[in-house]
Amino acid sequence: MHDWKHRVRQAFITSVIDDDIVEELAQHAEAAYEALRADDVPGPEALRQIDALIAGWHEDPQVLRRRPKRAPTVAPPSSSSRSAFGAMEDISYGLRLLRSQPGYALLTVLTIALGIGTTTTLFSVANSVLLRPLPWADSDALVRVTETRGGRQGRIPSTILNGTFLAWSEAPQTIESIGAWRDDSSMTLSGDGEATRVSVTLVTPGMFPTLKAAPVLGRNFAPDEGKPGQPALVILSFGFWQQRFGGRDDILGRTIVLDGSPATVVGVMPRDFQFPSREVRAWMPWVIPSVDGANGTKRGVIMRALARMRPGVTAAQVSAEGTARALAAPDAGPMAMALFGARDPIQVAAVDAKAAATAEVRPAILILLAAAGLLFVTAIANVANLQLARTAARHREFTIRAALGAGTSRLARQLLLENVIVGAIGGGAGLLLAATLHAMLPSILPQGFPRADAIAIDRIVLLFSVVLAGMTSVLCGVLPLMQVRRLDLARSLSEGGISSVGAGRGRVAATRAVIVLSQVAVTCVLLVGATLLVRSFIAYMQADRGYDPANVLTGTIPFPPAYPLERRAQALAAILERIKSRPGVTHAATSTALPLASAGGFVTFKFPSPFRPGAEIEVEAIRRVVTPDYFGALGIRVVAGRPLTAADGASSSPSVVVNRSFVRKYLDDVPVERAVSQSLGVNAVRSSRAPTATQIVGVVEDVKQSGPDEPAQPEMFVSYAQLPGANFGFQSFIVVRTADDPSAYVETLRTILRQEDPLLALDAVMTMDQRVAASLSRPRIYAVLLGGFALFALLIAGTGLFGVLSQSVTQRSREIAVRTALGATRGDVVRTVLAQAALAMIAGMAFGLASAFALSTTIAQFVYGVSTHDWVSFVAGPILLLVAGSLACIVPARRVANTDPLQVLREAR
Amino acid sequence: MATNRLEQELKRGSAELLVLALLEEQERHGYEIGRLINERSDGTITFHVTSLYPTLYRLEDKGLIEGRWVEKAGQRRRRLYRLTPGGRGVLSKQRSVWGTFFAALDRVAGIRHA
Repeated sequence: MHDWKHRVRQAFITSVIDDDIVEELAQHAEAAYEALRADDVPGPEALRQIDALIAGWHEDPQVLRRRPKRAPTVAPPSSSSRSAFGAMEDISYGLRLLRSQPGYALLTVLTIALGIGTTTTLFSVANSVLLRPLPWADSDALVRVTETRGGRQGRIPSTILNGTFLAWSEAPQTIESIGAWRDDSSMTLSGDGEATRVSVTLVTPGMFPTLKAAPVLGRNFAPDEGKPGQPALVILSFGFWQQRFGGRDDILGRTIVLDGSPATVVGVMPRDFQFPSREVRAWMPWVIPSVDGANGTKRGVIMRALARMRPGVTAAQVSAEGTARALAAPDAGPMAMALFGARDPIQVAAVDAKAAATAEVRPAILILLAAAGLLFVTAIANVANLQLARTAARHREFTIRAALGAGTSRLARQLLLENVIVGAIGGGAGLLLAATLHAMLPSILPQGFPRADAIAIDRIVLLFSVVLAGMTSVLCGVLPLMQVRRLDLARSLSEGGISSVGAGRGRVAATRAVIVLSQVAVTCVLLVGATLLVRSFIAYMQADRGYDPANVLTGTIPFPPAYPLERRAQALAAILERIKSRPGVTHAATSTALPLASAGGFVTFKFPSPFRPGAEIEVEAIRRVVTPDYFGALGIRVVAGRPLTAADGASSSPSVVVNRSFVRKYLDDVPVERAVSQSLGVNAVRSSRAPTATQIVGVVEDVKQSGPDEPAQPEMFVSYAQLPGANFGFQSFIVVRTADDPSAYVETLRTILRQEDPLLALDAVMTMDQRVAASLSRPRIYAVLLGGFALFALLIAGTGLFGVLSQSVTQRSREIAVRTALGATRGDVVRTVLAQAALAMIAGMAFGLASAFALSTTIAQFVYGVSTHDWVSFVAGPILLLVAGSLACIVPARRVANTDPLQVLREAR
Repeated sequence: MATNRLEQELKRGSAELLVLALLEEQERHGYEIGRLINERSDGTITFHVTSLYPTLYRLEDKGLIEGRWVEKAGQRRRRLYRLTPGGRGVLSKQRSVWGTFFAALDRVAGIRHA
């Protein structure tokens, strides 16, 4: 092996030539030598020839010079100009600088865009959903009226009973008017053209006046319209009128057919009117029935209500008047008990209508907005960090310009303008990102997200993003400015741009370390939060709901209202018979209730306690009327006794299956086996026959109706055969368990229904798994969003750490070289350099963990199945951070380890 | 003497084109570039180290080519050059200029280029 480098260097001994070039020429010489040897030139001869060659190169060593590698120079603007023209010059200089450093520019703009884009999107959601007024005139005066009993809301939250509504009818003091509506129902529109399902809402005649809305065509409902026996009337939405009836003028007075019954069109609402949601296409009048029915019976009707306050009145005053009136009004008795589960007196609450409509999503939006804000701060910290590094690298430029007469204010203006440019470009890109995210929102937001259609990028959102961009510019400009203000001309120039060992790092490095520390802290908080939500989501998925949702197909059979009761029972029985005969179907049942869809009916009755002689027990329980195979179809576990069977028929004595909670609450929590065969008295199942005592034949596991986090309720299961009247007034669900993929049976089911009766159609077809997944769309989206924010923050913090370390390594190269030359091992040096980063990381994580610990209770309502101080989340987040941090350290650490001390010291000569 | 001068001028004028063209195929090191120019021109065009490397450095400085050190275990580290997107553009421009120039020469002076 010949030392070619040495030979070349010898030849150039009298000239100054770069080490890199010597090495490249040595590479050339070696290649030429090997070529000669390959041509069979003997070694010594080849060596002689190459030496001659090298000697020839030396003839003109001046041309063998590579220009020093540096960024393309951009001439700074003249220092003296102070006019507006100078600002233009600064802008153009700033733009040229950015173009000359595309990597820096891209990183900065992307970081800002990410921060501004996500924050703006979340803000637009918060603005549109929580801040913007409801879409009705003077909506500030609208209050949502709800009633509670002993602090408990009704089983359907935010509702009132007819007694409370009717109590307002005589000369209310605090409100101008009140209107009520019932959640929209789907009706079939037939007649001209194809039959379609349309969403129709029942409203009291006072509803539209309360909203200060009037039809553009025709009239509102009159006070008595909607009473039973009156001709059916309907008001159409503008869109429905246009799409279905071509906007024809003679629509008023025409008759349309809804669910097989005629209804006369009396009005069309204005184009932008929507109530209670955009999906509603028509309204029908509803007169609220009084509490006292015929023959001394009590009627309870549940509804939602909005009232318009008189000017100068507060919501508290409305609540007080409402409560006083409701207490004086007739009460719905047992029905109220059934709906509220409490005996306490009524309390009426009037809540700002907007707050009430968005109450359930408000905490989530605010928390996500806060998370986005944290992400924004992390992103901006990174940009500021980059700016600091860049200013440090431009120290000499500023010093020289200051020496040439540029005042500090002049330099400050330039720095600020440069940052404004970056902020503006980043802000623009952020707005683009926000617009893209906006387009995706409808598919991202969970079903039933209130006011989702109102979310828009309006002027306020635009202003918000401009403010964010401005803040970014100023924040990122201020730190470097402080640095420029401390320019020390003499020292900077005398040092010749090369910092002496350990000098010139102190304050900037400390600032940057603090920035990294806070980034790590923020990321830590986000990571812990995200892990908590992800673990909650998994817990939701895996939760025991008391039934097995796998391989179950569900749907409803909407019987037309006029369908005879007996015919219904026959049809259902025939349908079940046919389904069960299909291969692959293991169980099939119909029911008035289905988890995640409808709880079914509610009953109250009294029975003598079988365990405490003389005691009478008052029961309020959910009653599900089912066919015997319901337990098998849903996979509900029978824990004692037997399920219902075909033997529990019309002719045998009433039998019920109850759940564990029923035993716990009403049967003195006896062992479930003891509950079997006990009597529930003659009132538990009342059919048309002579009163007979009802017997418990089995006990099943509690079934969670809506979510796994709700408390289980006492339930009773009764056979259809023993309670045929229950068919009426409830939806008929069909539940089919299959041996394989249940969605493959949808067509079979449809065909069977059609064959049984062409009038019957399958509605709301979903597998049980799909119902479970849909019910989890909120926890899922919250986990995904917070997780996304956390990962972005991790990425940003990682880049920040990498930047700080890289710069620290570059700035300290001389120190590192000296240390190495003085005998420090590579390991020592790497440790020294990483120590600072490690300190910032550890301190940041400590802060982050402490903050996460304190903050985790704020997301308690979204956490399920794990503690808000779940140790896994508090360990997993920091571990991820450590891994990312270590990755960010690898490259700078390797650079330190590979530093050639001699070369560094020679360069610094 | 005059012919010699012309040769020198032509060589200087075409040097950048030759280097760019060779790097279009793949990345190469300095020696290989010089050798290929020599071989492919059947020895008509030869670059001396003192003109080859300055040409490379100049091209690198203009951003038309990019040099990088490649280290392999057990070998001396070697400097390899490759064409940048900018260089690619300049190469195609130069090709068309030379093409037009040769066509004109041919029409005027009857020089056929292969």
